[in-house]
Amino acid sequence: MEILLQLILSGIALGMIYAVIAFGYQSTFATSGTLNFGQGEALMLGAMFGLSLAGDVMGGPYLNYWLMIPAVLIFGALQGAVVEAVGVRPAIKTKSEFGWIMSTIALGIIFRNVAENIWGKDDMPFPSPLPTSPLHIFGANVLPMELMVVVGAFLMMILVELFNRKTIYGKAVVATASDRDAAGLMGINTRMVITFSYALSSMSAAFAGVLIAPITLTGASMGAVLGLKAFAVAIIGGLNSGMGIIVGGVLLGIAETTTGFYISTGYKDVPGLVLLLFVLAIKPSGIFGKTAIKKV
Amino acid sequence: MHMIKPRWIKPVVSASLLALALSAQAADTIKIGVSGPYSGGSSPMGVSMRDGVKLAADEINKAGGILGRKIQLIERDDEAKNERGVQVAQELINREHVVATMGFINTGVALAATRFYQEAKIPVIDNVATGSLVTKQFLPPKYPKNYVFRIAANDTIQSHMIVEEAVVKRKFTKVAILADSTNYGQLGRQDLEKALDERGMKPVDEEKFNIKDTDMTSQLLKAKAAGAQAILTYAIGPELAQVANGMDKLGWKVPMIGSWTLSMANFIDNAGKNGEGALMPQTFIQDPDTPKRKAFIDAYIKAYHPSHNRIPSPVSAAQGYDSMYVLAAAIKQAGSTDGDKILAALENLNTKVEGVVTTYDHPFSSTDHEAIKIGTPVMGVVKNGHVVHAN
Repeated sequence: MEILLQLILSGIALGMIYAVIAFGYQSTFATSGTLNFGQGEALMLGAMFGLSLAGDVMGGPYLNYWLMIPAVLIFGALQGAVVEAVGVRPAIKTKSEFGWIMSTIALGIIFRNVAENIWGKDDMPFPSPLPTSPLHIFGANVLPMELMVVVGAFLMMILVELFNRKTIYGKAVVATASDRDAAGLMGINTRMVITFSYALSSMSAAFAGVLIAPITLTGASMGAVLGLKAFAVAIIGGLNSGMGIIVGGVLLGIAETTTGFYISTGYKDVPGLVLLLFVLAIKPSGIFGKTAIKKV
Repeated sequence: MHMIKPRWIKPVVSASLLALALSAQAADTIKIGVSGPYSGGSSPMGVSMRDGVKLAADEINKAGGILGRKIQLIERDDEAKNERGVQVAQELINREHVVATMGFINTGVALAATRFYQEAKIPVIDNVATGSLVTKQFLPPKYPKNYVFRIAANDTIQSHMIVEEAVVKRKFTKVAILADSTNYGQLGRQDLEKALDERGMKPVDEEKFNIKDTDMTSQLLKAKAAGAQAILTYAIGPELAQVANGMDKLGWKVPMIGSWTLSMANFIDNAGKNGEGALMPQTFIQDPDTPKRKAFIDAYIKAYHPSHNRIPSPVSAAQGYDSMYVLAAAIKQAGSTDGDKILAALENLNTKVEGVVTTYDHPFSSTDHEAIKIGTPVMGVVKNGHVVHAN
């Protein structure tokens, strides 16, 4: 029983790591129907930038962990705006169906190479703002940082929902999401909204980066596997549901830890991918996703 | 009829004379290849190895070189990639015409590249890569001669030492194996199984993880549930750090005993306090316990200024340094740079070579191409962020 509880708690913690990354996929899909396949690299850049400020890799620390977060958010937003301007806008303008896929992947590779040259290829520890000794919950152990990731994931979900429902900018985003042409006719600068959604997407990725880095180690290649897992989570949960992301993440995380224990650690990535195939076959818009009806 | 002298004849003649002069000058040096990853994840080992080789070559050149000629090192980055290692081998053999090559950090690169030296009949010394197979690909009688030598503790020796430490010295009866899913991890796991089998034991649990895995909960819980008293590891730095951190999280602390990668800085730094006490076989520890070792460590720090005065990979640096001296002694004994003569000298080296790892007294024979034997490496332990002698 204790073991099962530990597996579930570790699974939730792992799933929440995937979930915070997966949020970034949502905002761009909502406004422009495009995804940033360099999401894992946006996460990595955020974490490396944060480490340069709060760690000693660049002669620091210059700021403590909490003060470093706003700087990382601004950095992330700028990085996202660059991705949109260089990779996505030309593709949307020329109505290229798949151009953005290639260009976001290409930008991701470029960002990784740049990071390798600036920070090297090695993994580095990220100073933890919270104590690193585990807390005991009903006989299972959880790290304080893992709890913070859970809190961070919910916070991001609430902020995104509040933004969309309560603010005028959020309404512009929602309007652009539901019908880009109509929103444009109503005087919404849809191009601006799309740029903004990319900034928001990379901002959340950068935030996710500094949130998870104390648990996962930091390095130029940290985004590759995590970005892919988060993509699976976004598909399982639904690309337009905040709740779906959290549920999808938790499902995938628990599937990994329990399979690893009860079946074999060699197969622990399989059930998550089977789940992904299953969801795509039964409900392609994701468990919580709204089915998009494409009128032709 | 007199000959018409074309206008281009003069420049061509002078150019070929110049080329002749240049090649004559080049022949004055003895070209030796150094192949290793100087960029990327294995670069701490590759760079340390190269710097160790350079240090020895400089010392030999200052003392007059070999056979009255200076050593010229041709360094090439194999990027830890098999295909790149093959390109480097071909370039060193066909374009640079090296008389011998040293290097290789990665077993895969070593296995792929040594084939070309074997075919070209040029001796090659593996001075870091540990895969047991590296020196055994071209054994006689199937091949007339084997051109591959090694100055490093291979995985057979390492797994032997790991098991001896766990089973004989610490009297553990239940051990679990944790290895990553790469070739390195899985071949090492087989070597560990064999070494346990020799003592009539089987691991109580065997677990796998992938490169970049961040959560080791299920692996560790299974090892714990199986009653493991120690975990034996075959993996590389970052994931080993996650294993150590995962044990701390689960509040389950048993000794970690594993291959020499537990001495990698990216394990020690990322595991922090959780990595303290990890045990691993080492051929060399950065500890000036003999005058020769002190001189080597001081010279390395003076020449390359490593951060915190910590050699990135002391084992690689020391083996690189020693391999250069052993090769130089062989070339001297051969009295020639002919591959077969150097090979014969390596297999029957009459001078004792005093290195920093050990003193090499007939390190190789025609049947044994491993210079490091059981008994030479010692156990190291992580203490206060450094690797020190375990007693």
